[in-house]
Amino acid sequence: MGITFVRIALLVAVLFITSNLSIAVAHADNAKYKKSVENYTIPDVTLFNQDGKKVRLSSLTNSDVPVIVDFIYGTCTTICPVLSAGFVNIQKRLGTDSNKVRLISITIDPENDSPKVMKDYLKRYRAKPGWDFLTGSRADIDTVMKAFNAYIPDKMSHYPLNMIRMPKNGSWVRLFGLMSTKEFMHEYQLAADK
Amino acid sequence: MSQNIAQCVKSLLRPALSAALMVLLLAAPGQTETIQATALSKTEMLRLGERMYREGILPSGKPMNAFIRGDVEVDSTAFSCSSCHLRAGLGSVEGGVVTPPTNGMRLYKAYRRPPSLNDIPDRAGRFVYAKTVSERPPYSRESLATALRFGTDPAGQSFNDIMPRYPIDDHDMAILINYLESLSSSYSPGATNAGYAFATIITDDVSQEDREALLAPLQKFIAGTNQQVEMYEEFIKFGYSPTIDMKYAFRNASLTIWNLKGAPKTWRKQLAEYYAKEPVFAVLGGISNQDWQPIHNFCEEQRLPCLFPITELPVVSESDWYNYYFNRGYFQEGEAAARFINRMDGIAARTPILQVIQESPAGKALAAGFQKAWSDLEHPTVNSVNVTSKQLRDPKFYSKLLLDNKPGVLLLWTDAGVISSIPRLITKLDTPAQIYLSSSYLGKQAATIPESVRSNVYITYPYRLTPYVGSKEGFDAKVPILATATDFGDNRITSRTNTMLKQVTLQGLKLLYDNLYRDHLLDVMSMQMDQVARDYERLSFGPGQRYVSKGCYVIQLGKGADPALLAKSEWVIH
Repeated sequence: MGITFVRIALLVAVLFITSNLSIAVAHADNAKYKKSVENYTIPDVTLFNQDGKKVRLSSLTNSDVPVIVDFIYGTCTTICPVLSAGFVNIQKRLGTDSNKVRLISITIDPENDSPKVMKDYLKRYRAKPGWDFLTGSRADIDTVMKAFNAYIPDKMSHYPLNMIRMPKNGSWVRLFGLMSTKEFMHEYQLAADK
Repeated sequence: MSQNIAQCVKSLLRPALSAALMVLLLAAPGQTETIQATALSKTEMLRLGERMYREGILPSGKPMNAFIRGDVEVDSTAFSCSSCHLRAGLGSVEGGVVTPPTNGMRLYKAYRRPPSLNDIPDRAGRFVYAKTVSERPPYSRESLATALRFGTDPAGQSFNDIMPRYPIDDHDMAILINYLESLSSSYSPGATNAGYAFATIITDDVSQEDREALLAPLQKFIAGTNQQVEMYEEFIKFGYSPTIDMKYAFRNASLTIWNLKGAPKTWRKQLAEYYAKEPVFAVLGGISNQDWQPIHNFCEEQRLPCLFPITELPVVSESDWYNYYFNRGYFQEGEAAARFINRMDGIAARTPILQVIQESPAGKALAAGFQKAWSDLEHPTVNSVNVTSKQLRDPKFYSKLLLDNKPGVLLLWTDAGVISSIPRLITKLDTPAQIYLSSSYLGKQAATIPESVRSNVYITYPYRLTPYVGSKEGFDAKVPILATATDFGDNRITSRTNTMLKQVTLQGLKLLYDNLYRDHLLDVMSMQMDQVARDYERLSFGPGQRYVSKGCYVIQLGKGADPALLAKSEWVIH
């Protein structure tokens, strides 16, 4: 009797767990992107841009126009090309107003991403001025990832993330997931509103 | 059928893509029945299909445009099929995205995603960011065309947004599908379900001691692998029923030694003879003190993976596929010197630099690395002089050379023969009077550089500096060991070959399951996590990356006869 009860209880538990699992998975599959507003303290680090020039990250992010940051790497497949296509399209949509946004891609593969690799990458995507790709020492890159609550110990387990800094108050809109250009433009405009 | 597709278009896609696809549909009514071979020759079909798959270029030469999330237009030359499905078409897992196989053999069979631990999302939901559908019926050519255009599988399920939708016409679609059908359709030579045939390559300039240092870990690896198979077979005899994964976990392995004799120009013929006698699945390491190029080229031609040979003279290429190296050898040391000097305030702009190149493969490779990095940094070419080993030891020759060039920075891409001249050379240099040397080329005698000039001498050092735990023979003694100048010139043959086998190659072989394709081995090896190794600070991977250790320190020597190595740069210099 006791054993049967344990078996039934186990069966119920398993069913409960698996049904919850399938709901969680289905939900995640359907989710488009998640949005939150965060406050980040930009660490005082100096990185290198695609021209090999030293760039103080906090000077770059401190801007009167919205600043959009993402984490990618030069030889990445899957999500980086899609994130970068998002940057390209936002520059295209803004056209002559493309100076009204500052785009910053930060590498998560600082060993391989030399200024040359990054310059070639931007060229491949026909990036316009106003889109910088930054590399640096692994320690500095780790510090930056941690500051944006985006630390990953290995580049192979990264995820799609855009962060838009709102010039009016310096807060950041954190956007997890892939957006359509229309959605991305909408988020940009919300962030740009004075 | 066309009606159904039009409905799909309406409901699933946004205006930009819809318009492009509607044009296609109107231009080709009843198109779904016409996905079949075109009038092109088989070879041409495959060539064009491969270009679409790998480079995102249509047979017309135009880029294959695609759309993500309806209106994010991507140019497939930056983002091709092989970016995610990889070269062998067996898919990948990266960035929280699970990409399913896309070779004909898998597409035309029903698919069921195997359950895995990653089905449980973490609190941020990161690991289930983009999964494949859990189950689908087999594709036909027609339903495959629909999938590529509209992102729906034969059961009508929509793909994750990350899979682009491609408005491709029937002619081009037939070419692409024909390629997918041919992709990874039969096992690569040298592999069967029963086992792998491997080779290793040794040239006749290698000493007996170095030969043994290479063969010891290789033969141990082969013996260990075969012993595991025996144990596994014993388990089966005693009634163990293996799971699906287990069935592919144990395979026998054999190792043939390809000894190359005589002049490098004859190596190709020798390799071809070995290969004809017994094609192997991959070349596991190898060793040569000569230029590795003839072997590299042979492996590229045969599409034969050649994994991490011990060589300081690899081929430096950004596009070659089948040769994996620890690093770029001497070339990488030259690059490190260029990047280091570039970062020293003002030196690059105002100090004359002279490059002295000993007439040897090592000297040339060091100089080539320096020149390449220096010009990538947009500096004008530096003056270079080629010297023979006789001139290297002639003080008069140097006096004249330095008088003529008046350099402040001297790059000495030479062997240790130059060491005794260094104090005199420094007195003849302008400020900042710096000399750069390669630790690999100098060898152990670097420790004899006089203490009085050590602050002027910078040395490139492509190995780990920080303590690692273990003895130099193995990992048994749990004590930190610092590298010193006595490590210069040590080829680290056994330890590096062990790293190749245990940390890199085995990781790849484990992930093959029943996909015994060489391209797949390289694909899965390139998608692995970074590793800390005994000889290098970090090994890092990535699609298309073929030199896994990216770093090289610039150091100075401390005091004494067994000087400490003082890092003057980061491991990776930008």
